[in-house]
Amino acid sequence: MSAPSPLYARTWRAIRRVGDGWNRLGEQTQFYAKTIGSTGDALVNYRVELLRAIAQMSLGTGALILIGGSVVIVGLLALIGATITGQQGFATLQGVGIEALLGFLGSYLNVRIVAPLQATVALSATIGAGATAQLGAMRINEEIDALEVIGVRSVAYLASSRVLAGVVVVIPLYCVAVLMAFLGIRMVASFESLSSGVYDHYFRTFLNPAELVWSLLIVIMTGTVVMLIHTYYGYNATGGPAGVGEAVGRAVRASLIVAIFVIMLATFAIYGHGGNFHLSGG
Amino acid sequence: MIALGSVSNGVQGAVAAPVRGVGGFFAMTLDTFVAAFTTRFAWREFIDQTWFIARVSMVPAVLLAIPFTTFVVFLLNILLLEIGAADLSGSASAVAVIQIGPIVDVLVVAGAGATAICADLGARTIREELDAMRVMGINPIQALVVPRVAAGALVALMLMAIVTLSGLLSSFVVGVYIQGVTPGAYVSSMTLLVGLGTTIVAMIKALLYGITASLIACYKGTTVGGGPQGVGNAVNETVIYAFVALFAINIVMTAIDIKVNPT
Repeated sequence: MSAPSPLYARTWRAIRRVGDGWNRLGEQTQFYAKTIGSTGDALVNYRVELLRAIAQMSLGTGALILIGGSVVIVGLLALIGATITGQQGFATLQGVGIEALLGFLGSYLNVRIVAPLQATVALSATIGAGATAQLGAMRINEEIDALEVIGVRSVAYLASSRVLAGVVVVIPLYCVAVLMAFLGIRMVASFESLSSGVYDHYFRTFLNPAELVWSLLIVIMTGTVVMLIHTYYGYNATGGPAGVGEAVGRAVRASLIVAIFVIMLATFAIYGHGGNFHLSGG
Repeated sequence: MIALGSVSNGVQGAVAAPVRGVGGFFAMTLDTFVAAFTTRFAWREFIDQTWFIARVSMVPAVLLAIPFTTFVVFLLNILLLEIGAADLSGSASAVAVIQIGPIVDVLVVAGAGATAICADLGARTIREELDAMRVMGINPIQALVVPRVAAGALVALMLMAIVTLSGLLSSFVVGVYIQGVTPGAYVSSMTLLVGLGTTIVAMIKALLYGITASLIACYKGTTVGGGPQGVGNAVNETVIYAFVALFAINIVMTAIDIKVNPT
């Protein structure tokens, strides 16, 4: 009884798939615009939910609380990343006989690469994925529909407040990441018995405070993008309990890729061709 | 008296829960390794899972490797141009790629592969499919966990190759076409600091990542409970624990690499 297949069925299916992808992109953009546009609404009308989101994200929820929340995770990842960089950097510099310049790597690579990257990764893994899991569970349990029915603007109440809270929380998290990254390379220096005075001298000489501000700005940008993507996937989760898990996975994948692209483009735009330092003098 | 008892119970619970989690993880790891060598290997499931994990992590691997290497090599080349050693761009890129490759592999294996495994297994646990298998006398460790761990290890190893290749290509494009390094000098200095030993260590790193991340994902996936929020939290915890464990492995392996392969 089924209808005969139409002419060029495969071609049409391929075209429809491209069209669906295009529409999905449009829906996401629409959601992001709506979320960003509603931040004022969340700030004025849903201040309690905003504060609750900030408190939850900074201290962590569920199993995270047992291991110290997102602060510990961010610190740990930054410490490990900086130590790896320090180990490899020291070995490479030693190969050319200029291991004294490890302090330079400590100020240059930490501020430009390690701290923003590890802060973003930790934000996506802890706060972002947590928000997706929470919003996804609310969507599956039809709590979001219930909010709409009782007249709460759910995008402003749930998504905008979380994006805003994520941006607020990422600032102290970034500070923890930078401090731990500095500590990581400094630890490598004392472990490899490099004179601490030499390390501190080159570290202070090449540490550019303006770059720290730029680096913080990059993390705020990636934090916004990561939170937007994670709230989108949580807000639009489908397919029962299994769908929530899948949404968290998809959100982590998508947000990591987009965040790395943001870091790359921001690096090109901010630092440009010049290095902002004078190593060779003159 | 009663109040005191409940307080001590609460403290016990708070301390016991993570310890019990770690213990359960090691118990499952041991079971998995024993089952891998004593029971029949589930080839069909292994091939299915290899294709599944490769499918979800191949595109993220390439999309993460290209921008990551591009901006790191860009910053390193600025440094080399400043000290007038642009000819060594190739060797700096090779060092960067062989160190960034494992980090990208961490992000992909933990962020893409492990989350997919955990979401899939978590859904099966929620639908009580694992209990049904046990009732039928099928050991879930043998039928589900062992092939997933083997598939995760194989895919992580193959991803490492893709990541290294796309990293080297994109660093070549950045160095030669954007920052004006001579292509011949780039290629000839590439093997100056990175040799076979370092490459083999990077491959071993990838193998260990695959095994560890799959084990964490399988443990979190098979012990999931509590409906939609539970599955979401399980995937969330998988990502966090896998990131921390894999970066910790990286730090140890890098230290070994430096001692074994002095430059």
